[in-house]
Amino acid sequence: MIVLALPSKGRLKEQALEILAKAGLTVNLPEDTRKYHARIAEFPEVEIAFLSASEIAGEIGRGGVDLGVTGEDLVRENLADWEERAEIVARLGFGHADVVVAVPDAWLDVDTMADLDDVAADFRSRHGRRLRIATKYWRLTQQFFSGKHGIQVYRIVESLGATEGAPAAGSADIIVDITSTGSTLRANHLKKLTDGLVLPSQACLVASRKARAANDAALLDEVVARVGAALLSRP
Amino acid sequence: MTTRYPAITADVRKLFVERGAAMVEVAVLQPADPFLDMAGEDLRRRIFLTESETGAALCLRPEFTIPVCRDHIASQAGTPRRYGYLGEVFRQRREGGNEFFQAGIEDLGDPDIAAADARSVVDAHALVAMALPHLRLTVTLGDQGIFEAVLAALGLPRGWRMRLARAFGSRAMLEAALADLANPSRNGRLGGEAALLAADGDVEGLAAHIEANMDKAGLSPSVGRAPADIARRLIEKVQLRSVRLSDEAFAALKAFLAIDVPLAGAGAALSAFAASTGLSFDAALENFSARTVAIASHGLNMDAVRYDAAFGRPLDYYTGLVFEIAAQGEAGVLVGGGRYDRLLTLLGAKATIPGVGFSVWLDRIETLREGAQ
Repeated sequence: MIVLALPSKGRLKEQALEILAKAGLTVNLPEDTRKYHARIAEFPEVEIAFLSASEIAGEIGRGGVDLGVTGEDLVRENLADWEERAEIVARLGFGHADVVVAVPDAWLDVDTMADLDDVAADFRSRHGRRLRIATKYWRLTQQFFSGKHGIQVYRIVESLGATEGAPAAGSADIIVDITSTGSTLRANHLKKLTDGLVLPSQACLVASRKARAANDAALLDEVVARVGAALLSRP
Repeated sequence: MTTRYPAITADVRKLFVERGAAMVEVAVLQPADPFLDMAGEDLRRRIFLTESETGAALCLRPEFTIPVCRDHIASQAGTPRRYGYLGEVFRQRREGGNEFFQAGIEDLGDPDIAAADARSVVDAHALVAMALPHLRLTVTLGDQGIFEAVLAALGLPRGWRMRLARAFGSRAMLEAALADLANPSRNGRLGGEAALLAADGDVEGLAAHIEANMDKAGLSPSVGRAPADIARRLIEKVQLRSVRLSDEAFAALKAFLAIDVPLAGAGAALSAFAASTGLSFDAALENFSARTVAIASHGLNMDAVRYDAAFGRPLDYYTGLVFEIAAQGEAGVLVGGGRYDRLLTLLGAKATIPGVGFSVWLDRIETLREGAQ
């Protein structure tokens, strides 16, 4: 018995079910939509659990489910040392969105992370506080700023919604947020930095690296192989 | 005192008091913001954070320097003053425990920089030598002040100097910064009225243009970056666009960073560097030499002390001396120290208070002691 977690609602759920159908994996949806469990017709040993996308990332890290469809951004953000606990076995080609660094349009002097490094270094002496970044991605932000670009001095303001409004609201100076078309950024007079792509994300099939019995491992490989084949045969 | 304390605790306290540092107690539970503000968000994943009922972010003390300095500011104690401490710090680590002991001295407000620097190095060395009499110790010393003076002597523009000074101590960051300066990127997206105003160096006109943009976006001109700040930096950037780091400056920086000599010969090596490159940084060199003399006057074995020109810490409150002590042939630094003349002002002190201090990893020392027995 293995558990495959799927998003419980929205476009992500529909597209996940489509991919599984193409892979010859028919999910028998429960008649009662309030029920959050189902089975795969071809593999009765695969149980489906419907969860929110961020819960799926957490459950994969914890080993509560074997496989899941969720966003790469959520896996990398929600799991410390994610590669030790999870493996992205397929990128599914939908749910595309980029996690980006964006600053106010009016910052005409800032186009790159190096510019931002300059601005952040001076910020405290000019404004009496560090540069503030609004984001719900504190781990990705910290890896990108501190790890990749060597920028140490900034503060993260945790934002759980409407991040793009934080600069105008005065609660932060810049943002790190997810965007698919960039229209929300433009509408809020924000611009993406030229080298400010933190992560190109999309929906992924993710496997937990938890220990499992040989027959479960074989079953998991079979499901993964079928999804992989379906992705290859896609026009 | 419980038995959890390192065996050398009483000896360390005695040594500190003999050397004029009164022992202080520091609260275990600390406000988290000063640590995150000073050391950066990177610290967040390495400390133990919690929250008070009112939502204030608190943490278990991850180190002593910041709390000792904050307590000093709050108590309005006079200076100069030397604080000794010994206790547990709490950090999330992959190896070793999450709680371990540190001891150190913070030396605040002594106007004699060379003497205070030397005392810090010598006190730290005395502690380790007392605890590990069977090991040969090596002291490595760096100096942020010399590096900044070399950058100034090279005549580099302010923005570049700041960028390089920030990267000091991190080879990767320094190399990236040098590569950028040797090959500056173009400001591709600037166009229209702003480009003309920037090219003309018209700060006021450009600031007005930017303020209009900010107004349209609903940004307050007083909450964060002001229009004039943005205008000034944009003009500076446009002016620097056509400048690149010269080959001579690049070669001089590389030659400087390669200096790694016994401290006794460091003054001569720096003088030779100055002569061969035609650079002049006499004031910084004098301070450096005064400190070297002060260290030698304490009778420290100078053969074991090296100066590494590239050694520094990329944190913006370190201003001069940085040093480490290790045991020869053993991995792991036993002492980290340095001068942080900007720290107390950043933490809210009204007047500038110079400071220098060190912290000893007592857990690593205990391990080496156990190994010797």
